[in-house]
Amino acid sequence: MSLRRRSVPYWLLAPGLLWLVVFFVVPMYFMGELALRSGSLTSGYTFDWAWSNFPDSLSGHTEQIGRSFLYAGTATVLALLIAYPLAYAIAFRAGRYKLLLLFAVIAPFFTTYLIRTIAWKTILSDSSPVVGVLQSLSLIPPDGRVLATSGSVIAGLTYNFLPFMILPLYANLERLDLRLIEAAKDLYSSSSQAFLRVTLPLTMPGIVAGVLLTFIPAFGDYVNAQILGGTQQAMIGNVIQSLYLNQRDYPEAAALSFLMMGLILAIVMIYIRFAGTGAFMGDEEEAGA
Amino acid sequence: MRSERRGRLALPAIAAAVAMTTVALGLAACGSDTVGGGNSAKVTTAEAGPVEGKLTISNWPGYIDPGKEGTVAEFEGKTGVSVDYIEDINSNDGFFGKLQPQLEQGESGGRSIFVVADYMAKQMYDLGYLQEIDHADLPTVFKTLLPSLESPAFDPERKFSVPWQGGMTGIWVDTSKAPEIHSVNDLFDPKYKGKVTMLDELRETPALVMLAEGVDPAKASADQWIHAIEKLGDAANSGQIRRFTGNEYTEDLTAGNIVAAIGWSGDASLIENPNAEWRMPTEGCTRWSENMVIPVGAPNTAAALAWMDFVYRPEVAVDITEYVEYISPVQGVKQLLEKRGSELAKSQIVFPSEQFTRDCTGQNTPPELERVNEAWQDVLTG
Repeated sequence: MSLRRRSVPYWLLAPGLLWLVVFFVVPMYFMGELALRSGSLTSGYTFDWAWSNFPDSLSGHTEQIGRSFLYAGTATVLALLIAYPLAYAIAFRAGRYKLLLLFAVIAPFFTTYLIRTIAWKTILSDSSPVVGVLQSLSLIPPDGRVLATSGSVIAGLTYNFLPFMILPLYANLERLDLRLIEAAKDLYSSSSQAFLRVTLPLTMPGIVAGVLLTFIPAFGDYVNAQILGGTQQAMIGNVIQSLYLNQRDYPEAAALSFLMMGLILAIVMIYIRFAGTGAFMGDEEEAGA
Repeated sequence: MRSERRGRLALPAIAAAVAMTTVALGLAACGSDTVGGGNSAKVTTAEAGPVEGKLTISNWPGYIDPGKEGTVAEFEGKTGVSVDYIEDINSNDGFFGKLQPQLEQGESGGRSIFVVADYMAKQMYDLGYLQEIDHADLPTVFKTLLPSLESPAFDPERKFSVPWQGGMTGIWVDTSKAPEIHSVNDLFDPKYKGKVTMLDELRETPALVMLAEGVDPAKASADQWIHAIEKLGDAANSGQIRRFTGNEYTEDLTAGNIVAAIGWSGDASLIENPNAEWRMPTEGCTRWSENMVIPVGAPNTAAALAWMDFVYRPEVAVDITEYVEYISPVQGVKQLLEKRGSELAKSQIVFPSEQFTRDCTGQNTPPELERVNEAWQDVLTG
């Protein structure tokens, strides 16, 4: 084998690696260094191995971390419950409307994230018809509201990240070999048995990918809490924003960001282990076993 | 084994390449041991010169008529300067936080003028983030500036700031829903639970709460500030306060989500609700002014100076007042409004009398700022 041919994979990797180094590894290095500085805006921030920034950044913010888990977790579960039937219907039952429906899933992306979220403020404002209907159905108290509550933040997160759940699920369902379900039925399984023992295991890679793509950005999101939340809905992203922009405690903001990154990484590792690495890597044999 | 045949990637080699690139880029970007701390040693004076080219101005929303018939277009027509007027300031702290890393590097992000509150202008100047201004370059400004604004405590010689507009912070009330609200204390009435918003500015909301409790914010101790902040924290926890906002309270008033808000006196142009009315709190307001400043690294300072001088022409200033309804720093605006037969000439909001503002205080910075601000930020991110 010639040297040139052996070097091909490295050249193929190079653009991606360079991108990762310039826009991820280098900024991470500076963030890490910043997290170990101490000082103030006027005196400047001096590097002095200030490890205490890490515990300090957590103090008083555990409530917002818990809230971030609750909101992101709830939004992920809701998104999965909405997305799975939808992706299933698009993949198997949509017929000639398949492309149109897929387009409808992606269409909101033509508008910016911020505008879509602000639009929800109008939809959910106290005197809107939506809130009126919820009130008359007694789903919320007669003088109750939706905006500036946990419900509106979770709804915003679910809405904004739903396509990230639908698309991997659809891609997975779409290439499902329908003959396997027929085979299961030939072996006297009921529809629900066939779903639980054939379809669901085979679509695990899609579920795992969708859950990760939804939960991770939802956990760090601060826009939904900022726009749709009230005084008691701040998530950890809002705390980091406040530390960075309003208190200008850059080192603590950096330290808190690192801790959150570590936390998410740990959760993802556990989750992948639990869900099976094979499923994550798209190895259907292992996932289906 | 397909991968074997093609040759496996050697992970250590990749890791080494990544590490080397990182170190190289890191060294290239890393200069000194200390970041931040300002660069006040290098304060320069904004240069005058031929008025042409492009000018970028950062201001708060609703602070000028940006339309085709508006002040920006008029300036463009008269000078040939092409103006990029951006309304990207929603809070003093937020804007400063966004720009600070660039200002520290001597860059203004392409902007030639910011509009910020007195304390923020002073903070920026002290950190060396602003250029000084030669009065000789601004003949109109220093001919028509109100004498009461010539020598403020934060910039006695007007070395780095030129007033843009002033205003008062008080209570916006939806008179169709809660006509009886007159005091900041009324906002804590459980009747209005979840129907009240307050500003997220430290120097406004806690200061008004102190005034309502009979404490003078100008003389208050850090503990008195914290006491007011704790009262606000409790009201936030109980759901009394719906949100802490910047300019967004105008949207909540428009949508009818709230009955009252702590807000700025001149925001009528942003509120589409005929029942909304700004009221002087019975215990007094906070008064403030905002200033045009020229940041370090500002391109085209000649055009920036020309802009400052232009908006001080009384016939231009009166257009701005008619549109924004804030307090103009320019002499003669009232007379011009009277000549035009405008109702605004009689407005206490645009031309407040001394009697009207007798209980008001300036924008005060609390003692032990860092501790007080941290307590306030904890309330905001409840």
